[in-house]
Amino acid sequence: MKNRLTFARGMMNVFLWLVLIVMLLPFLWLILSSFRPNMDLFSEPFGIPDTLNFNNYVAVLESHPMFLYLFNTFFVTIIAIVVDVAFAVGASYGLMRHFRGKGMVAFVLSIGLFIPTNAFLVPYYIMINKMGLYDQLMGIALVYAGVNLPITVMVVRGYMATLPTEVVESAQIDGANSLQTLVRIVLPISVPGLVTACVFVFIHCWNELLFANILNQSDSSRTLQVAIRSFLTTFEANYAYAFAAMVLAILPTIVVYALLTNQIISGMTAGAVKG
Amino acid sequence: MQKRKQQDHAFLYTLPALVLTIAFFLIPLVYLITVSLFKWNGLGPMEFVGFGNYDYIFNHRNFHKAFRVTMTWLTSAMVLHIPFGLVLSLMLSRQPRGWKFLRVMYFIPNVISTTAVAFMWYFIYHADMGLLNALLRAVGLEQWTNTWLGNTRTALFCNQVPFILYVGLTCIIFLTQISTISPDLYEAAEMDGADGLRKDWFITLPLLKPAILTNVMLNGAFCLRAFEYPFLMTSGGPSNSTTNLALYIYREMMSANRYGVSMAAGLVTIVLGVILMSSVTLLQKERS
Amino acid sequence: MKKLVALLLALCLVLGCASALAAPIEINIYHHMSSDTARGVVTEKILEKFNQEYEGVYKAVSSVNPDFPTYQEKVKAMISANETPDIFCYNFNPNDLSRQNSGKLMDLAPYMDEEWKARFKQSDLDLLTLDGKLYSLPRAQQSAVFYYNAELLAAAGYDQFPTTWDDFFACCEALKANGVSAISLYTADDAWYATCFLTYVFSSVAGNELANSGVIDCEEMVKAAEYLQKAFAYTTSDAVGGNYSVASNNFFTGKTAIVIDGPWFMGSIPAEMIDKVKVAVAPSFADGKIAANYQVTDAQSPWAAAAQEDPAKAEAVVALLKYLTNEESTKSYTLDGSEYQSARLTLTDEDMASMNSVQREYFNVYSGGEANIVNIQRNLSTAANAALPSLVEALVLGECTAADFVADLAAENAY
Repeated sequence: MKNRLTFARGMMNVFLWLVLIVMLLPFLWLILSSFRPNMDLFSEPFGIPDTLNFNNYVAVLESHPMFLYLFNTFFVTIIAIVVDVAFAVGASYGLMRHFRGKGMVAFVLSIGLFIPTNAFLVPYYIMINKMGLYDQLMGIALVYAGVNLPITVMVVRGYMATLPTEVVESAQIDGANSLQTLVRIVLPISVPGLVTACVFVFIHCWNELLFANILNQSDSSRTLQVAIRSFLTTFEANYAYAFAAMVLAILPTIVVYALLTNQIISGMTAGAVKG
Repeated sequence: MQKRKQQDHAFLYTLPALVLTIAFFLIPLVYLITVSLFKWNGLGPMEFVGFGNYDYIFNHRNFHKAFRVTMTWLTSAMVLHIPFGLVLSLMLSRQPRGWKFLRVMYFIPNVISTTAVAFMWYFIYHADMGLLNALLRAVGLEQWTNTWLGNTRTALFCNQVPFILYVGLTCIIFLTQISTISPDLYEAAEMDGADGLRKDWFITLPLLKPAILTNVMLNGAFCLRAFEYPFLMTSGGPSNSTTNLALYIYREMMSANRYGVSMAAGLVTIVLGVILMSSVTLLQKERS
Repeated sequence: MKKLVALLLALCLVLGCASALAAPIEINIYHHMSSDTARGVVTEKILEKFNQEYEGVYKAVSSVNPDFPTYQEKVKAMISANETPDIFCYNFNPNDLSRQNSGKLMDLAPYMDEEWKARFKQSDLDLLTLDGKLYSLPRAQQSAVFYYNAELLAAAGYDQFPTTWDDFFACCEALKANGVSAISLYTADDAWYATCFLTYVFSSVAGNELANSGVIDCEEMVKAAEYLQKAFAYTTSDAVGGNYSVASNNFFTGKTAIVIDGPWFMGSIPAEMIDKVKVAVAPSFADGKIAANYQVTDAQSPWAAAAQEDPAKAEAVVALLKYLTNEESTKSYTLDGSEYQSARLTLTDEDMASMNSVQREYFNVYSGGEANIVNIQRNLSTAANAALPSLVEALVLGECTAADFVADLAAENAY
């Protein structure tokens, strides 16, 4: 009995690590290939580079403003996160209390959850044009903020709903006005919920291609996603360059993630459950 | 009076979110429904055609195909992605050696942009220089090599593989819920002589229902709008076998310049979304 | 008090003039010729020269999208967003006049003085004139010809390019036996290589008149589709789902031996490969249905400009358009950029001598042309063009017959 259990546990460990290898092997292959010349890739796809050759990287950085794209992506993501979290905190806090029409407001705010927003491709496109924000970072950021608001409200509101109401009430008895209560009492204990919301919005914005693609025209508002899409055509199918460009595109996020792992994972673990 | 003022305050807090929701959901919805009744190329005048665009999509096999492909995506989420994430998190919850490290690593593909991932998998499947065929040749399975993305039988599943595989976020949501389950429950079960699998089945799984619903909702929404994988890996081909509703909407607008048809297809997607999310909400209500 | 006002007014005038002097009028030009291609380098040089010549007055600023099908979609999107680029180019299609009818393009007819008009063929101008308005300026209508890798063909036993379609497929078979994919084709984006091939066979079956009539639903097209289906047996494994870059790159790396492409293709051939590449007249059925040297051309791809409210800006745009089509720019495009222009050009012996072997061969085949057929896809409706790639894929994967393919394409074209 004991032996069988140990064996099962061993198998489980092997499986878990195998999954990890299958997940991450492609990334390793990508990184290795990015150091090899284009011709080699065809003759021997799965080879180790002989030397650490940065030619592909130099070529990519010379022809494409990769750092500008990276900045653009961060910019739209941050704006969307700030707007969404601020608005969602307001909405959730408002909904913690009673007012006339509360049910209606809650209903309207949840409508977005039911709608796959890619259906709004044409309306958003026309709307951003009419606002004069075509080919501008603010246009893309605004759409991202709008699209992600429902899920942010759901997560933040779900978390705040679990806070003990006595905390809020006692603060009010102490004479704090509603804004003070929000900033001093409610926000600090809502941090895990906010982290979860931030991660959701981040993942969505960071991945988004559809809207960024139709709302962008020039380099000044091009996000990484749109840039990556054009690699295959602009590099005249020089796959080695495309690989280097992709490594450049994904490296910064991995670094940021590595630095913030603990905050993200522990924040999520505390926040997601109550959503 | 004091109370009345406070009530108004409470409403004011919700106002910004309300405005944004109206601007990005209610107005577009009305616009979508209206313009879907017109024939319009995006540049010229609009021509009222009634339900002509709906008539067109409901009788066109490309739309039928796109609808089926989207349903396949939803199925892969429910049958493969979520169960896979569940199995992994149940294993991780037993806290084997290095489980924290694994948890962190599983999440990495989620922070890498889907665009880069899709592009990378395009190369993995590449017939001549791809990783997959190279591996197959290396282990002597030459006859299994395939033009993975150029074959109508394999292209759609190949599109979905990265989605099915990268379960980091799904896993975390499960793990979070598992961590809230009181250890007392397990101890009681152990007294009754339950082993690991039985504990999973009889205690963990029923208590995971909220996390399962959250995952159904998140992944269902992802599948309805999945655009990057088919767009970048196969551009919807070969012969439309990977064109889903999201890509269909995009194509009709950008390539075919039939804005009305695009929006009619958009409304169908919205109906699908409403059905999916309403069922989740109903099931959520049921639990409480 | 009056004095003060006058002084202020004068100051404003001076400052206004000064700022007008300091800031030249900017002209945005949006095109597809990226600087990693020969025609892109030429475009850059021409604009640079223009900016020098008009320093302080005009300034041309270009933005580039080398992915032509996406570029065209983007232009339409920009017109509908009221962000029409000051100058851009596009593929003219008589069945899609949405850009011309948008009311957002500049009518160039009032600016057409005798000198400028004489730069173009009247037939080109007629093609682009709508109700007396000239919304576009002839830029280029280029022949897509057969390029082949003479070394690979020789190895397969062919010292000459096959002259009949039967011989062509025999040659493909011989190449295949040598482990070489005969021809570069692709089905993604606009499937252009495939439709060039289709149009070539269609022309040789149907003859000049029918091929240029815009008729899709006919027996001759079915036969052409059958040949296209057959040709895909001799292409690379990444042709289905591949795009222009993938397919042209296959020729450059020696994976394929034949490619059908325009003159700009020569600007991308790697230097070490130039000696191997030759240009050939297309095969036919040798039944006299079509002239011996017949050529499939791409659409007329004209320049167009955004309507301007400010007459000074309009002048600026016209100045740049005139510059782009003057003798010097035309020559530079043709010789250095391998981009054949619609504007008139006479080449001297010296110019001819400056060409490399491929350019000379192209020029000879091109100038000896006896019949021109516009690629059938350039006359399809927007919806049919959008459906075309997936229909080609269905055809070559054997999901539908050649007859189905033609019927489906005709049905989409009718919508």
